[in-house]
Parts: sequence; C-alpha cells; structure tokens
Amino acid sequence: MRLLTNLTKLFSILGKKDKITIKSSTKNLHLVRDFVEQKASGINIDQKIINQIIISVDEACTNVIKHTHKFNDSNEIDVESEYKDNQFIVTIRYKGEAFDPTKKETPDMKEYFTKFKVGGLGIPLMKKSMDKIEFKHIKPDSNSLTLIKVI
Amino acid sequence: MDEFTITEKKADDLIILYLNGFLDAHTSSLLEKKFEELLSKKLYKVIVNFSGLSYISSAGLGVFMAYIETMRSHDGDIKLSDMSDKIFNIFDMLGFPILFNILKDENEAVNKFNETV
Repeated sequence: MRLLTNLTKLFSILGKKDKITIKSSTKNLHLVRDFVEQKASGINIDQKIINQIIISVDEACTNVIKHTHKFNDSNEIDVESEYKDNQFIVTIRYKGEAFDPTKKETPDMKEYFTKFKVGGLGIPLMKKSMDKIEFKHIKPDSNSLTLIKVI
Repeated sequence: MDEFTITEKKADDLIILYLNGFLDAHTSSLLEKKFEELLSKKLYKVIVNFSGLSYISSAGLGVFMAYIETMRSHDGDIKLSDMSDKIFNIFDMLGFPILFNILKDENEAVNKFNETV
C-alpha cells in the first residue's frame, strides 16, 4: 500500500513542472524554500539532498533580490521545479541586468577565515550544493539560472 | 510560529543566545542588532545555542563572521552549540569549524570558555 502511494506520488511528479512566483523581497524567501521542499519531498530522496537543493535556491534568489533587483519588490522572481532523467532541476527566471554566478571565483576559505572576511558566501554555498549550474541571459533583460541536482 | 526570535540568558560574564526559527537574508539583521547591543554593553563572551533553529543560509553565517574578530580582540569569543546535523552541514560545507568552536551542547561551550580563562 505504501509502495503504491509512493509510486502514485512519484508519477504525479515525474516530468511535471511546477512554479511559484514571488515578489522580489527577502521576506518571501521562506515561501520559495517551502515550495522546493514540498516538490523535492515528493521524490524518494535523502533529506540531506533536499536541504542542499533548498539552500542553493535560497542563495540564488537572495542574490537576485539583493544585487539584481536591489530590494525593489515591484520585481518578480519565478521559480520552477522539474524532476526528469534522475535530475531535480530548479529554474529561476527574473528580469534585470545579467550576472553570471558561475563565472564568480570561489574564495579560498583558508584565506577567508584568516582575514576574517565578510560576505560573498552565497555563491560558494550555491555551487557546492548542486551538481550543475547554468546561467542564460536573453537581451534585453531576461535571465534564467538553472540549478541541477543529480539524484 | 515566529519567523525568527532570539532569547538570551546571562551567566556571569557569559551571554547565551537562543536562536529560534529561521536565519536567512530576511531575519539576519535581527541577529546583527543583537550583536551590536552586546558590543555596546561590552559583552564579548557569547554562546549561541542553535537548538531551536530550523534553517540557516549564508546571510546567517555572515553575521558570525562579522563579529568574531571583535569578540576575540576583547578576549571573548562566539562559541556555537546544540546544532542539528542540518545546520552543522551548512557551517561545515564552507569550513567554518576551522575558525569557530562548535560544541555539542551549551555546557561544553561554557566549559570551553572556562578552560581558556
């Protein structure tokens, strides 16, 4: 019975895209996390992996809110999730200037701690948590950031 | 449930902060304010108890990075305790245990402060 329930759950998720749209404000980050948690929980994957997907999406959205939209919540962010070919894929779409986080160099953490640096940890966390990250900019102002976790 | 709250307890010259809820880019400014308040009261020995915290992102990690040097320069420290595996994994991913004392529980953190006196 449990197997059947799980299978039904799995089939309802396979290949299906789901989306949440938020106003670009840090107060909505928890909505994005809940959305990702809910979608990822539908697949039989380890909670540790779900947590990695959640933090990665949080960091990606936080960067958009802070740096691209500069806390102007008249902007919106779309977050779409999809599970296919053993990959959990989250695509974040938003308007604004192009910024490719995959091009940002990862700090040397030993130096970071020795010099008591502050900030700049969002992208490293995002990268470490996922298997693949792709950024696309379509002129004039459409961006999509795709975060992929192999399950 | 509140998104994020901090309660505190004073034990001699130690301050113990109990974090509850989630610590992300939205709520981290509350913790920053708390550390500013501790600095203004010249309280530099801080234990942060994570038992009530359900989530942390880089914004939360950033607050600890922002104050650890100041606390240590005044013979204090920020010691972290009672983390769930979920929270510890985030700290661990970027190597925070290199810089921070992360203790199993509050008592161990108190003892660690006493050792270094």
